[in-house]
Amino acid sequence: MDAGLLAQFVANGLMLGMMYALVAVGFTLFFGVLDVIKFSHGDVLTVGTFAGFSTFLGLKAIGVANPWVQVAAVMLIACGAMAILGALIARYLVMPLKGAPALNVLLLTLMLGTVLRESVRLFFPDGANPKPFPKLLPTDALALGSFTLRLDSAILFVAGLAVIVAIHLLINRTKLGLAIRAVAQDEETAKTMGINFTLIVLATFALGSGVAAFAGIMNGLYYNEINFGMGLLLGVIGFSAAIIGGLGNIYGAILGGFLFAALQTLSVVALPFASAYKDVFAFAVVIVLMTIWPTGLIAEKTSERV
Amino acid sequence: MNASANLVVEDVFAAYDKADVLEGVSLTAEAGKITCLLGANGSGKSTLIRAILGLTPPRQGRIAFAGKEISGLPTHQVIAAGIACIPEGRKVFPKLTVEENLRLGAYRESSDSVVVERMANVFDIFPRLKERRGQIAGTMSGGEQAMISIGRGLMGAPKLLLLDEPSLGLSPLLVKENFAIIRRINERGITVFLVEQNVHQTLAIAHFGYVLMQGRVVASGPARELMANADVHKAYFG
Repeated sequence: MDAGLLAQFVANGLMLGMMYALVAVGFTLFFGVLDVIKFSHGDVLTVGTFAGFSTFLGLKAIGVANPWVQVAAVMLIACGAMAILGALIARYLVMPLKGAPALNVLLLTLMLGTVLRESVRLFFPDGANPKPFPKLLPTDALALGSFTLRLDSAILFVAGLAVIVAIHLLINRTKLGLAIRAVAQDEETAKTMGINFTLIVLATFALGSGVAAFAGIMNGLYYNEINFGMGLLLGVIGFSAAIIGGLGNIYGAILGGFLFAALQTLSVVALPFASAYKDVFAFAVVIVLMTIWPTGLIAEKTSERV
Repeated sequence: MNASANLVVEDVFAAYDKADVLEGVSLTAEAGKITCLLGANGSGKSTLIRAILGLTPPRQGRIAFAGKEISGLPTHQVIAAGIACIPEGRKVFPKLTVEENLRLGAYRESSDSVVVERMANVFDIFPRLKERRGQIAGTMSGGEQAMISIGRGLMGAPKLLLLDEPSLGLSPLLVKENFAIIRRINERGITVFLVEQNVHQTLAIAHFGYVLMQGRVVASGPARELMANADVHKAYFG
Protein backbone atom coordinates (compact mmCIF):
# COMPACT_ATOMS: atom_id res chain seq x y z
CA MET A 1 0.00 0.00 0.00
CA ASP A 2 1.15 3.50 -0.76
CA ALA A 3 2.42 5.50 2.21
CA GLY A 4 0.07 8.43 1.67
CA LEU A 5 -2.96 6.18 1.75
CA LEU A 6 -1.63 4.44 4.83
CA ALA A 7 -1.17 7.83 6.50
CA GLN A 8 -4.77 8.63 5.60
CA PHE A 9 -5.94 5.47 7.35
CA VAL A 10 -3.82 6.23 10.40
CA ALA A 11 -5.14 9.80 10.59
CA ASN A 12 -8.70 8.51 10.34
CA GLY A 13 -7.98 5.89 12.98
CA LEU A 14 -6.58 8.50 15.36
CA MET A 15 -9.70 10.62 14.92
CA LEU A 16 -11.97 7.67 15.63
CA GLY A 17 -9.79 6.65 18.57
CA MET A 18 -10.17 10.11 20.04
CA MET A 19 -13.97 9.90 19.86
CA TYR A 20 -14.03 6.41 21.37
CA ALA A 21 -11.64 7.49 24.12
CA LEU A 22 -13.86 10.45 25.04
CA VAL A 23 -16.92 8.18 25.26
CA ALA A 24 -15.00 5.52 27.20
CA VAL A 25 -13.84 8.08 29.79
CA GLY A 26 -17.48 8.61 30.75
CA PHE A 27 -18.13 4.90 31.32
CA THR A 28 -15.03 4.61 33.44
CA LEU A 29 -15.82 7.75 35.50
CA PHE A 30 -19.37 6.59 36.25
CA PHE A 31 -18.15 3.16 37.20
CA GLY A 32 -15.48 4.73 39.39
CA VAL A 33 -17.78 6.77 41.60
CA LEU A 34 -20.92 4.62 41.68
CA ASP A 35 -19.87 1.14 40.48
CA VAL A 36 -22.54 1.28 37.82
CA ILE A 37 -22.64 0.76 34.07
CA LYS A 38 -24.71 3.53 32.50
CA PHE A 39 -25.89 2.17 29.19
CA SER A 40 -27.70 5.32 28.13
CA HIS A 41 -24.32 7.05 27.75
CA GLY A 42 -24.20 6.63 23.97
CA ASP A 43 -27.74 7.95 23.56
CA VAL A 44 -26.92 10.98 25.71
CA LEU A 45 -24.22 11.59 23.10
CA THR A 46 -26.88 11.46 20.38
CA VAL A 47 -29.17 13.86 22.23
CA GLY A 48 -26.20 16.19 22.76
CA THR A 49 -25.32 16.10 19.08
CA PHE A 50 -28.90 16.89 18.09
CA ALA A 51 -29.00 19.67 20.69
CA GLY A 52 -25.89 21.08 19.02
CA PHE A 53 -27.46 20.67 15.58
CA SER A 54 -30.61 22.48 16.78
CA THR A 55 -28.43 25.27 18.13
CA PHE A 56 -26.87 25.63 14.67
CA LEU A 57 -30.31 25.72 13.00
CA GLY A 58 -31.47 28.30 15.54
CA LEU A 59 -28.43 30.52 14.99
CA LYS A 60 -28.85 30.26 11.23
CA ALA A 61 -32.53 31.20 11.57
CA ILE A 62 -31.69 34.36 13.54
CA GLY A 63 -28.94 35.26 11.09
CA VAL A 64 -25.76 34.45 13.02
CA ALA A 65 -23.51 33.37 10.18
CA ASN A 66 -20.00 33.51 11.67
CA PRO A 67 -18.87 29.87 11.71
CA TRP A 68 -16.61 30.39 14.75
CA VAL A 69 -19.51 31.77 16.77
CA GLN A 70 -21.63 28.90 15.51
CA VAL A 71 -19.15 26.19 16.44
CA ALA A 72 -18.53 27.72 19.87
CA ALA A 73 -22.24 27.99 20.58
CA VAL A 74 -22.91 24.47 19.30
CA MET A 75 -20.19 23.01 21.56
CA LEU A 76 -21.24 25.08 24.56
CA ILE A 77 -24.95 24.25 24.31
CA ALA A 78 -24.38 20.57 23.50
CA CYS A 79 -21.86 19.99 26.31
CA GLY A 80 -23.67 22.20 28.82
CA ALA A 81 -27.09 20.69 28.19
CA MET A 82 -25.74 17.14 28.37
CA ALA A 83 -23.84 17.93 31.56
CA ILE A 84 -27.17 18.97 33.07
CA LEU A 85 -28.97 15.95 31.61
CA GLY A 86 -26.25 13.64 32.92
CA ALA A 87 -26.52 15.11 36.42
CA LEU A 88 -30.32 14.81 36.32
CA ILE A 89 -30.12 11.16 35.23
CA ALA A 90 -27.68 10.48 38.05
CA ARG A 91 -29.79 12.28 40.66
CA TYR A 92 -33.25 10.99 39.78
CA LEU A 93 -32.66 7.66 38.05
CA VAL A 94 -29.31 6.16 39.03
CA MET A 95 -28.78 7.28 42.65
CA PRO A 96 -32.22 6.13 43.86
CA LEU A 97 -31.20 2.63 42.77
CA LYS A 98 -28.20 2.67 45.08
CA GLY A 99 -28.24 -0.54 47.07
CA ALA A 100 -30.21 -2.35 44.36
CA PRO A 101 -28.40 -5.01 42.30
CA ALA A 102 -26.08 -3.48 39.67
CA LEU A 103 -28.07 -5.33 37.03
CA ASN A 104 -31.08 -3.09 37.77
CA VAL A 105 -29.10 0.05 36.95
CA LEU A 106 -27.88 -1.56 33.76
CA LEU A 107 -31.44 -2.44 32.78
CA LEU A 108 -32.82 0.97 33.73
CA THR A 109 -30.21 2.86 31.73
CA LEU A 110 -30.62 0.46 28.81
CA MET A 111 -34.32 1.37 28.74
CA LEU A 112 -33.55 5.04 29.23
CA GLY A 113 -31.18 4.87 26.26
CA THR A 114 -34.00 3.48 24.13
CA VAL A 115 -36.33 6.24 25.30
CA LEU A 116 -33.77 8.92 24.40
CA ARG A 117 -32.93 7.36 21.05
CA GLU A 118 -36.55 6.83 20.03
CA SER A 119 -37.47 10.32 21.24
CA VAL A 120 -34.89 11.81 18.88
CA ARG A 121 -36.28 9.66 16.07
CA LEU A 122 -39.92 10.52 16.75
CA PHE A 123 -39.83 14.10 17.99
CA PHE A 124 -36.99 15.67 15.99
CA PRO A 125 -38.42 16.89 12.66
CA ASP A 126 -37.88 14.05 10.19
CA GLY A 127 -35.76 12.44 12.91
CA ALA A 128 -35.82 9.00 11.35
CA ASN A 129 -33.54 10.14 8.52
CA PRO A 130 -29.87 11.17 8.72
CA LYS A 131 -29.27 14.91 8.98
CA PRO A 132 -26.49 16.78 7.18
CA PHE A 133 -24.27 18.26 9.88
CA PRO A 134 -22.72 21.58 8.76
CA LYS A 135 -19.02 22.06 8.06
CA LEU A 136 -18.36 24.74 10.65
CA LEU A 137 -14.57 24.53 10.62
CA PRO A 138 -12.29 25.69 7.79
CA THR A 139 -11.82 22.85 5.32
CA ASP A 140 -8.54 24.03 3.79
CA ALA A 141 -6.53 20.97 2.85
CA LEU A 142 -2.86 20.25 2.84
CA ALA A 143 -2.02 17.66 0.19
CA LEU A 144 1.07 15.50 0.65
CA GLY A 145 1.01 13.08 -2.22
CA SER A 146 -2.02 10.90 -1.77
CA PHE A 147 -2.36 12.01 1.85
CA THR A 148 -4.66 14.95 2.47
CA LEU A 149 -4.72 16.64 5.85
CA ARG A 150 -7.78 18.78 6.26
CA LEU A 151 -7.57 21.70 8.65
CA ASP A 152 -10.93 20.89 10.27
CA SER A 153 -9.72 17.37 11.09
CA ALA A 154 -6.53 18.75 12.60
CA ILE A 155 -8.47 21.26 14.70
CA LEU A 156 -10.86 18.54 15.91
CA PHE A 157 -8.00 16.26 16.86
CA VAL A 158 -6.18 18.97 18.77
CA ALA A 159 -9.41 19.98 20.51
CA GLY A 160 -10.03 16.36 21.52
CA LEU A 161 -6.49 16.13 22.83
CA ALA A 162 -7.04 19.32 24.81
CA VAL A 163 -10.17 17.83 26.38
CA ILE A 164 -8.24 14.71 27.42
CA VAL A 165 -5.45 16.82 28.91
CA ALA A 166 -8.07 18.94 30.70
CA ILE A 167 -9.69 15.82 32.17
CA HIS A 168 -6.27 14.58 33.27
CA LEU A 169 -5.53 17.90 35.00
CA LEU A 170 -8.98 18.06 36.56
CA ILE A 171 -8.69 14.56 38.01
CA ASN A 172 -5.08 14.87 39.20
CA ARG A 173 -4.56 18.51 40.04
CA THR A 174 -7.82 19.84 41.45
CA LYS A 175 -9.68 19.38 44.69
CA LEU A 176 -12.72 18.13 42.75
CA GLY A 177 -10.53 15.52 41.08
CA LEU A 178 -9.09 14.44 44.43
CA ALA A 179 -12.63 14.05 45.77
CA ILE A 180 -13.66 12.02 42.71
CA ARG A 181 -10.69 9.70 43.20
CA ALA A 182 -11.39 9.37 46.92
CA VAL A 183 -15.06 8.52 46.30
CA ALA A 184 -14.02 5.99 43.64
CA GLN A 185 -11.68 4.25 46.08
CA ASP A 186 -13.76 4.24 49.25
CA GLU A 187 -17.13 5.91 49.30
CA GLU A 188 -17.73 5.77 53.06
CA THR A 189 -14.30 6.97 54.08
CA ALA A 190 -14.60 9.74 51.50
CA LYS A 191 -17.82 10.86 53.18
CA THR A 192 -16.09 10.94 56.56
CA MET A 193 -13.54 13.35 55.07
CA GLY A 194 -16.43 15.80 54.73
CA ILE A 195 -16.95 15.18 51.01
CA ASN A 196 -20.51 15.75 49.82
CA PHE A 197 -20.94 12.41 48.09
CA THR A 198 -24.07 13.33 46.11
CA LEU A 199 -22.46 16.48 44.77
CA ILE A 200 -19.36 14.59 43.62
CA VAL A 201 -21.47 11.94 41.87
CA LEU A 202 -23.49 14.62 40.08
CA ALA A 203 -20.32 16.49 39.07
CA THR A 204 -18.83 13.28 37.72
CA PHE A 205 -21.93 12.44 35.67
CA ALA A 206 -22.05 16.01 34.39
CA LEU A 207 -18.40 15.79 33.35
CA GLY A 208 -18.73 12.42 31.61
CA SER A 209 -21.93 13.42 29.80
CA GLY A 210 -20.55 16.78 28.67
CA VAL A 211 -17.49 15.03 27.27
CA ALA A 212 -19.74 12.56 25.43
CA ALA A 213 -21.60 15.48 23.82
CA PHE A 214 -18.22 16.86 22.75
CA ALA A 215 -17.41 13.52 21.11
CA GLY A 216 -20.80 13.56 19.38
CA ILE A 217 -20.27 17.04 17.93
CA MET A 218 -16.78 15.98 16.89
CA ASN A 219 -18.32 13.02 15.10
CA GLY A 220 -20.86 15.30 13.38
CA LEU A 221 -18.22 17.79 12.27
CA TYR A 222 -15.97 15.01 11.01
CA TYR A 223 -18.53 12.98 9.04
CA ASN A 224 -20.94 15.87 8.35
CA GLU A 225 -23.84 13.58 9.02
CA ILE A 226 -25.70 12.62 12.16
CA ASN A 227 -28.54 10.20 12.87
CA PHE A 228 -30.60 9.04 15.83
CA GLY A 229 -28.69 5.76 16.12
CA MET A 230 -25.17 7.23 16.09
CA GLY A 231 -24.76 6.95 19.85
CA LEU A 232 -25.69 3.30 20.01
CA LEU A 233 -22.58 1.93 18.29
CA LEU A 234 -20.36 4.67 19.77
CA GLY A 235 -21.71 3.71 23.20
CA VAL A 236 -21.02 0.01 22.77
CA ILE A 237 -17.53 0.75 21.42
CA GLY A 238 -16.84 3.23 24.24
CA PHE A 239 -18.00 0.66 26.78
CA SER A 240 -15.77 -2.03 25.23
CA ALA A 241 -12.85 0.40 25.23
CA ALA A 242 -13.42 1.14 28.93
CA ILE A 243 -13.57 -2.59 29.67
CA ILE A 244 -10.37 -3.43 27.74
CA GLY A 245 -8.58 -0.60 29.51
CA GLY A 246 -9.75 -1.83 32.91
CA LEU A 247 -13.04 -0.29 34.02
CA GLY A 248 -12.46 2.53 36.49
CA ASN A 249 -9.09 3.50 35.02
CA ILE A 250 -9.21 6.71 32.96
CA TYR A 251 -5.95 6.14 31.11
CA GLY A 252 -7.00 2.58 30.40
CA ALA A 253 -10.21 3.88 28.84
CA ILE A 254 -8.29 6.29 26.62
CA LEU A 255 -5.88 3.55 25.61
CA GLY A 256 -8.82 1.23 24.98
CA GLY A 257 -10.46 3.80 22.70
CA PHE A 258 -7.39 4.17 20.55
CA LEU A 259 -6.81 0.43 20.58
CA PHE A 260 -10.31 -0.21 19.26
CA ALA A 261 -9.81 2.33 16.47
CA ALA A 262 -6.43 0.76 15.69
CA LEU A 263 -8.08 -2.64 15.34
CA GLN A 264 -10.71 -1.24 12.97
CA THR A 265 -8.05 0.53 10.93
CA LEU A 266 -5.86 -2.55 10.85
CA SER A 267 -8.79 -4.58 9.60
CA VAL A 268 -9.50 -2.08 6.81
CA VAL A 269 -5.84 -1.89 5.78
CA ALA A 270 -5.20 -5.62 5.92
CA LEU A 271 -8.50 -6.73 4.43
CA PRO A 272 -9.52 -3.93 2.05
CA PHE A 273 -11.97 -6.26 0.29
CA ALA A 274 -13.82 -6.78 3.56
CA SER A 275 -13.79 -3.31 5.13
CA ALA A 276 -17.47 -3.71 6.04
CA TYR A 277 -16.31 -6.30 8.56
CA LYS A 278 -14.10 -3.90 10.50
CA ASP A 279 -16.42 -3.89 13.54
CA VAL A 280 -16.71 -7.67 13.46
CA PHE A 281 -12.93 -7.95 13.42
CA ALA A 282 -12.40 -5.33 16.15
CA PHE A 283 -15.05 -6.76 18.48
CA ALA A 284 -13.73 -10.29 17.92
CA VAL A 285 -10.24 -9.18 18.96
CA VAL A 286 -11.73 -7.40 22.01
CA ILE A 287 -13.49 -10.62 22.99
CA VAL A 288 -10.19 -12.52 22.72
CA LEU A 289 -8.37 -9.83 24.73
CA MET A 290 -11.03 -10.03 27.43
CA THR A 291 -10.61 -13.77 27.79
CA ILE A 292 -6.83 -13.28 28.19
CA TRP A 293 -7.02 -10.24 30.52
CA PRO A 294 -10.44 -10.45 32.15
CA THR A 295 -9.89 -7.33 34.27
CA GLY A 296 -8.48 -5.17 31.50
CA LEU A 297 -5.04 -4.29 30.18
CA ILE A 298 -4.08 -1.97 33.00
CA ALA A 299 -4.20 -4.07 36.13
CA GLU A 300 -4.96 -2.52 39.50
CA LYS A 301 -1.64 -1.84 41.19
CA THR A 302 -2.82 -2.07 44.77
CA SER A 303 -5.68 -3.97 46.27
CA GLU A 304 -8.62 -1.84 47.29
CA ARG A 305 -9.78 -4.25 49.94
CA VAL A 306 -7.61 -5.46 52.75
CA MET B 1 -14.34 23.00 80.20
CA ASN B 2 -17.17 24.08 77.96
CA ALA B 3 -19.89 21.50 78.59
CA SER B 4 -21.78 22.60 75.47
CA ALA B 5 -19.06 21.02 73.30
CA ASN B 6 -20.00 17.57 74.59
CA LEU B 7 -21.03 14.68 72.40
CA VAL B 8 -24.35 13.45 73.75
CA VAL B 9 -25.90 10.16 72.68
CA GLU B 10 -29.44 9.64 73.97
CA ASP B 11 -31.33 6.36 73.86
CA VAL B 12 -30.00 5.40 70.42
CA PHE B 13 -31.31 2.34 68.60
CA ALA B 14 -29.48 1.43 65.41
CA ALA B 15 -28.56 -1.65 63.43
CA TYR B 16 -25.74 -1.99 60.91
CA ASP B 17 -25.82 -5.71 60.46
CA LYS B 18 -27.56 -8.34 62.54
CA ALA B 19 -24.61 -8.95 64.82
CA ASP B 20 -23.91 -5.31 65.67
CA VAL B 21 -27.04 -3.70 67.09
CA LEU B 22 -27.59 -0.82 69.52
CA GLU B 23 -30.54 -1.07 71.84
CA GLY B 24 -31.03 2.18 73.66
CA VAL B 25 -27.50 3.48 74.21
CA SER B 26 -26.99 6.73 76.11
CA LEU B 27 -23.63 8.24 76.85
CA THR B 28 -21.73 11.52 76.97
CA ALA B 29 -18.22 12.28 75.78
CA GLU B 30 -17.25 15.31 77.79
CA ALA B 31 -15.46 18.16 76.06
CA GLY B 32 -11.69 18.14 76.49
CA LYS B 33 -11.62 14.62 77.89
CA ILE B 34 -10.84 11.16 76.60
CA THR B 35 -13.95 9.02 76.85
CA CYS B 36 -13.72 5.38 75.94
CA LEU B 37 -16.26 2.78 74.97
CA LEU B 38 -15.18 -0.78 75.64
CA GLY B 39 -16.83 -3.81 74.20
CA ALA B 40 -16.25 -7.13 72.53
CA ASN B 41 -16.76 -7.82 68.83
CA GLY B 42 -20.40 -7.53 67.89
CA SER B 43 -21.30 -5.51 70.98
CA GLY B 44 -22.34 -2.57 68.81
CA LYS B 45 -19.25 -0.36 69.08
CA SER B 46 -18.77 0.19 65.36
CA THR B 47 -22.49 0.76 64.87
CA LEU B 48 -22.34 3.60 67.38
CA ILE B 49 -19.47 5.22 65.46
CA ARG B 50 -21.46 4.81 62.24
CA ALA B 51 -24.54 6.30 63.89
CA ILE B 52 -22.59 9.34 65.11
CA LEU B 53 -21.11 9.86 61.63
CA GLY B 54 -24.47 9.54 59.93
CA LEU B 55 -23.37 6.48 57.95
CA THR B 56 -26.03 4.38 59.70
CA PRO B 57 -28.66 6.85 60.91
CA PRO B 58 -30.27 5.75 64.19
CA ARG B 59 -33.74 4.25 64.03
CA GLN B 60 -34.60 5.98 67.25
CA GLY B 61 -32.90 8.32 69.68
CA ARG B 62 -30.88 11.45 69.38
CA ILE B 63 -27.22 12.38 68.94
CA ALA B 64 -26.05 15.93 69.58
CA PHE B 65 -22.68 17.59 69.36
CA ALA B 66 -21.90 21.03 70.82
CA GLY B 67 -25.57 21.53 71.53
CA LYS B 68 -26.63 20.85 67.95
CA GLU B 69 -28.50 17.75 66.87
CA ILE B 70 -26.45 15.81 64.34
CA SER B 71 -28.49 12.62 64.02
CA GLY B 72 -30.24 12.74 60.67
CA LEU B 73 -27.59 14.92 59.03
CA PRO B 74 -25.69 13.60 56.02
CA THR B 75 -22.14 12.56 56.89
CA HIS B 76 -20.38 15.57 55.34
CA GLN B 77 -22.44 17.92 57.52
CA VAL B 78 -21.59 15.91 60.65
CA ILE B 79 -17.92 16.37 59.73
CA ALA B 80 -18.55 20.08 59.14
CA ALA B 81 -19.77 20.34 62.74
CA GLY B 82 -16.16 19.72 63.85
CA ILE B 83 -15.91 15.94 64.03
CA ALA B 84 -13.24 13.71 62.51
CA CYS B 85 -12.95 9.94 62.52
CA ILE B 86 -10.00 7.60 62.50
CA PRO B 87 -11.80 4.54 61.21
CA GLU B 88 -11.40 0.91 62.07
CA GLY B 89 -8.79 -0.70 59.84
CA ARG B 90 -7.29 2.76 59.16
CA LYS B 91 -8.97 3.01 55.74
CA VAL B 92 -6.29 5.04 54.00
CA PHE B 93 -7.02 5.69 50.33
CA PRO B 94 -4.67 3.04 48.95
CA LYS B 95 -4.07 4.53 45.51
CA LEU B 96 -3.46 8.07 46.71
CA THR B 97 -0.19 9.45 48.00
CA VAL B 98 0.45 10.22 51.65
CA GLU B 99 0.05 13.92 50.94
CA GLU B 100 -3.22 13.43 49.04
CA ASN B 101 -4.58 11.37 51.93
CA LEU B 102 -3.68 14.14 54.35
CA ARG B 103 -5.19 16.80 52.10
CA LEU B 104 -8.47 14.89 52.05
CA GLY B 105 -8.54 15.12 55.84
CA ALA B 106 -8.70 18.89 55.42
CA TYR B 107 -11.23 18.71 52.58
CA ARG B 108 -13.57 21.24 54.14
CA GLU B 109 -10.80 23.80 54.66
CA SER B 110 -10.69 26.17 51.70
CA SER B 111 -7.50 28.06 52.57
CA ASP B 112 -4.45 26.33 51.15
CA SER B 113 -2.08 28.06 53.57
CA VAL B 114 -4.08 26.65 56.50
CA VAL B 115 -3.89 23.18 54.95
CA VAL B 116 -0.12 23.50 54.51
CA GLU B 117 0.27 24.68 58.10
CA ARG B 118 -1.75 21.75 59.44
CA MET B 119 0.26 19.36 57.31
CA ALA B 120 3.46 20.74 58.82
CA ASN B 121 1.98 20.00 62.27
CA VAL B 122 1.21 16.43 61.25
CA PHE B 123 4.75 16.04 59.91
CA ASP B 124 6.02 17.22 63.31
CA ILE B 125 4.16 14.37 64.98
CA PHE B 126 5.04 11.84 62.27
CA PRO B 127 8.36 12.79 60.61
CA ARG B 128 8.18 9.50 58.72
CA LEU B 129 5.19 10.80 56.74
CA LYS B 130 7.18 13.82 55.66
CA GLU B 131 9.90 11.58 54.21
CA ARG B 132 7.27 9.52 52.43
CA ARG B 133 4.86 12.24 51.41
CA GLY B 134 4.90 11.26 47.74
CA GLN B 135 4.52 7.54 48.31
CA ILE B 136 1.32 5.66 47.42
CA ALA B 137 -0.39 4.87 50.73
CA GLY B 138 -1.37 1.32 49.76
CA THR B 139 2.30 0.34 49.46
CA MET B 140 3.12 1.32 53.05
CA SER B 141 3.29 -0.79 56.19
CA GLY B 142 0.42 -1.14 58.65
CA GLY B 143 2.15 1.11 61.15
CA GLU B 144 2.76 3.81 58.55
CA GLN B 145 -0.86 3.58 57.39
CA ALA B 146 -1.93 4.07 61.02
CA MET B 147 0.14 7.29 61.03
CA ILE B 148 -1.58 8.46 57.83
CA SER B 149 -4.98 7.68 59.29
CA ILE B 150 -4.31 9.59 62.52
CA GLY B 151 -2.65 12.46 60.65
CA ARG B 152 -5.57 12.64 58.24
CA GLY B 153 -7.96 12.82 61.20
CA LEU B 154 -6.01 15.77 62.59
CA MET B 155 -5.92 17.62 59.27
CA GLY B 156 -9.55 18.65 59.73
CA ALA B 157 -8.65 20.40 63.01
CA PRO B 158 -11.60 18.66 64.68
CA LYS B 159 -13.10 19.55 68.04
CA LEU B 160 -14.01 15.92 68.51
CA LEU B 161 -11.98 12.97 67.30
CA LEU B 162 -13.61 9.54 67.03
CA LEU B 163 -11.24 6.58 67.05
CA ASP B 164 -12.56 3.16 66.09
CA GLU B 165 -10.22 0.46 67.40
CA PRO B 166 -6.91 2.14 66.64
CA SER B 167 -5.02 -0.78 68.20
CA LEU B 168 -6.45 -3.36 65.80
CA GLY B 169 -3.78 -5.18 63.86
CA LEU B 170 -0.84 -3.26 65.30
CA SER B 171 2.10 -4.69 67.22
CA PRO B 172 2.12 -4.05 71.01
CA LEU B 173 4.89 -1.49 70.59
CA LEU B 174 2.95 0.45 67.95
CA VAL B 175 -0.20 0.28 70.08
CA LYS B 176 1.72 1.86 72.93
CA GLU B 177 3.08 4.61 70.66
CA ASN B 178 -0.34 5.30 69.18
CA PHE B 179 -1.98 5.55 72.57
CA ALA B 180 0.69 8.01 73.69
CA ILE B 181 -0.12 10.07 70.59
CA ILE B 182 -3.83 9.95 71.36
CA ARG B 183 -3.09 11.35 74.80
CA ARG B 184 -0.98 14.12 73.25
CA ILE B 185 -3.77 14.97 70.83
CA ASN B 186 -6.17 15.25 73.76
CA GLU B 187 -3.72 17.47 75.63
CA ARG B 188 -3.98 19.93 72.75
CA GLY B 189 -7.64 20.35 73.66
CA ILE B 190 -9.28 17.92 71.26
CA THR B 191 -12.11 15.86 72.74
CA VAL B 192 -11.50 12.16 72.14
CA PHE B 193 -14.05 9.37 71.90
CA LEU B 194 -12.15 6.11 71.78
CA VAL B 195 -13.80 2.81 70.94
CA GLU B 196 -11.65 -0.17 71.86
CA GLN B 197 -11.36 -3.80 72.82
CA ASN B 198 -7.97 -3.31 74.41
CA VAL B 199 -9.16 -2.76 78.03
CA HIS B 200 -6.03 -1.99 80.00
CA GLN B 201 -4.20 0.38 77.69
CA THR B 202 -7.43 2.17 76.88
CA LEU B 203 -8.41 2.72 80.49
CA ALA B 204 -4.86 3.83 81.21
CA ILE B 205 -5.28 6.92 78.99
CA ALA B 206 -9.05 7.53 79.26
CA HIS B 207 -10.74 9.82 81.77
CA PHE B 208 -14.13 8.21 81.63
CA GLY B 209 -15.38 4.93 80.23
CA TYR B 210 -18.44 3.01 79.20
CA VAL B 211 -18.80 -0.73 78.71
CA LEU B 212 -21.04 -1.97 75.93
CA MET B 213 -22.48 -5.47 75.92
CA GLN B 214 -24.96 -6.75 73.36
CA GLY B 215 -25.95 -3.24 72.36
CA ARG B 216 -26.47 -1.89 75.88
CA VAL B 217 -24.29 0.10 78.26
CA VAL B 218 -23.68 -2.23 81.20
CA ALA B 219 -21.16 -0.18 83.17
CA SER B 220 -19.76 3.31 83.23
CA GLY B 221 -17.58 5.46 85.43
CA PRO B 222 -14.21 7.14 85.75
CA ALA B 223 -11.56 5.04 84.02
CA ARG B 224 -9.75 4.32 87.29
CA GLU B 225 -12.90 2.86 88.84
CA LEU B 226 -13.75 0.82 85.75
CA MET B 227 -10.32 -0.74 85.88
CA ALA B 228 -11.29 -2.35 89.18
CA ASN B 229 -14.89 -3.07 88.23
CA ALA B 230 -15.80 -6.73 88.10
CA ASP B 231 -18.44 -6.14 85.40
CA VAL B 232 -15.78 -4.97 82.99
CA HIS B 233 -13.94 -8.19 83.40
CA LYS B 234 -17.17 -10.12 83.10
CA ALA B 235 -17.95 -8.35 79.83
CA TYR B 236 -14.75 -9.68 78.38
CA PHE B 237 -14.00 -12.90 80.11
CA GLY B 238 -17.57 -14.10 80.62
